[in-house]
Amino acid sequence: MSEARSKSPAVIALIGSLLGLVFSYNSSIDYAAHLDRRLHDVHCSFIPGAPATAEAEACRAAMYSPYSAVMRDSLWGGIPISLFAVGAFAFFAAFSIYLLLAREKASRANVMFFAAVSVTPLLVSIVMFTISITKLGTLCKTCVGTYIASALLAAGGLMALRSLRASAEDVKRPEGQPLIAVFWLIVLGVVTLLPTLVYAAAAPDQRPYLAKCGELKKPEEPSGALIKFRGARAVQAALLFEDPLCPTCKALHERLTGEGVLDRLDVTLSLFPLDNSCNWMLSDQSLHPGACLVARAIICAKGQERQMLEWAFAEQESLSAAGKMGEGALKSKISQRWGSSLAACVDSRDAKATLNKHLHFAAENNVPVSTPQVFLGKQRLCDEDTDLGLRFTLKQLAPEVLQ
Amino acid sequence: MTEQRPFPSAPVAVGLGAGVLLTLGVLVSVHGAVAHARERLNTPETNKPTVAIADQSEVAYCTPRFKEVLERVLHSCGLVSGEGGRRGCQPADVKTFASISDSDFNELFTPLKDRGAVVMYDEGKDDLDDKAKKLLEDMWFERKGARYFFVVARASKSGTVDKNRALSHRRANSVMFNLKDVSKDPEIEKTVGLLWLGNEFAQLSKEYCGWNNSRPDAKCNDDAINRSAFVSWVDCRL
Repeated sequence: MSEARSKSPAVIALIGSLLGLVFSYNSSIDYAAHLDRRLHDVHCSFIPGAPATAEAEACRAAMYSPYSAVMRDSLWGGIPISLFAVGAFAFFAAFSIYLLLAREKASRANVMFFAAVSVTPLLVSIVMFTISITKLGTLCKTCVGTYIASALLAAGGLMALRSLRASAEDVKRPEGQPLIAVFWLIVLGVVTLLPTLVYAAAAPDQRPYLAKCGELKKPEEPSGALIKFRGARAVQAALLFEDPLCPTCKALHERLTGEGVLDRLDVTLSLFPLDNSCNWMLSDQSLHPGACLVARAIICAKGQERQMLEWAFAEQESLSAAGKMGEGALKSKISQRWGSSLAACVDSRDAKATLNKHLHFAAENNVPVSTPQVFLGKQRLCDEDTDLGLRFTLKQLAPEVLQ
Repeated sequence: MTEQRPFPSAPVAVGLGAGVLLTLGVLVSVHGAVAHARERLNTPETNKPTVAIADQSEVAYCTPRFKEVLERVLHSCGLVSGEGGRRGCQPADVKTFASISDSDFNELFTPLKDRGAVVMYDEGKDDLDDKAKKLLEDMWFERKGARYFFVVARASKSGTVDKNRALSHRRANSVMFNLKDVSKDPEIEKTVGLLWLGNEFAQLSKEYCGWNNSRPDAKCNDDAINRSAFVSWVDCRL
């Protein structure tokens, strides 16, 4: 067997391991940076080592999703999945170096162990890829980088396994002890877990910060204009300020649904469109043109407000595009799905007055001009506690919601 | 017989060394990143971006003098206390709490020309005709970000002071009753400020005939324009 051929499995595995290490490390460090409860740029590029950027919605969506971390109930933000990958890829990189240097002298048992475990990152990647496509509907570039790295590593491992057959013909390779696999498995486990243990031990206590984002001054809207929808197993009153064309609101709604939290909430919805055609608090520019009209459509969908809101979230991209084109395009989309009488209702005086009451409710309570906002009872949840820290915060402030 | 060693020593040493170095590097780096985040968490953010706070609208005509007068109206006419009881202000009150001349008082409302409207009445009457009701409804639903709705009812110089005082009071009330019907707002009393000025204070000049009113086609003079109630949302934070 040629020298190049005997080296290539280890080289491929080493490249895969190092790439995986860089991508998963970047993801983990992004995650750790958010433990300060501030907003940060995140790494979101196929190029390993490319700088973090603010234009990283897909990576941010993946990071805030329930699938990005484990133990989210007991640790604020949980332990990022990528951190397990960091340890594992470090192990695979080191083992690849050993295989690269040892070549045919590497025992059969070691090579077989390596081939067996080298596919595990790929299996995890397939699961995460499926979740990304089916649950998140988006692919984050850094995650894709990790998937590619995992595939390279698996390819290297399988090629090494294949080389065992070739080497049987021309080289006398040592057999090695079969039990060595158990030893390496323990080492792999320890190296995989160590970074997560260090992370969990060093993570700050977030509990003192949870209740520091204000309270409602006037929790009741006297005319009953706000929208109510009760989850099937509601145990906790919650007030949401949402804009139907706000991507962050959509993401929050999906998180609450995905975590099973929405089902446990008795929701009062105050519509807060960030569109200056109805919202005087945005004098300079409309962040989401058309949001006022969609908000009025939700008000008009009496008895089906939640379905209408969820439709607006599902169709957010096309509704936002229609909103930029003008009211006609937006009404046509609403009419197509909900009928012409509802589309006509959005221009009614009652719908406009009701939406105005929603906005005055926000003004009376002096809430920040931003969406989404979540209040449990009168207590406002900080923005960061509605994304990374959602489950931890609920566990602290309303544990019954998670039961 | 040749000895078969399961681990060729140099590659194992290098591999183990690399593994230890990589693992240590990862651990130190992860710990450092988390520790830095903890440090930032405990340090107040100096250049924290300011977030706008939701509030009622505040526009250019909300001068300190304008707000001062309106604030006195709010306090003296029962809007702010909101405990029920007395509602609205009569001429004597206005003179006392506003501490302002007739013309200066009217001048304060000049910026509301495009925001407000004048509801006109027949001589000696306080009932609203259909056009007046329509105008009131239009005005009411153009609230936008305003917190307070003001009604300044007047009477012309015809008749006695007492009779006009009572008439302007009834005109203010007719507006209020109509708004209650239209708005169905249980807290309307905390929103609408009523002033009735009779014919004693701040009479309008004929120039105000040019303002948006409920009888644009009718003959308008000094008497007609004062048989009225000026209504407007006020876009000021008071």
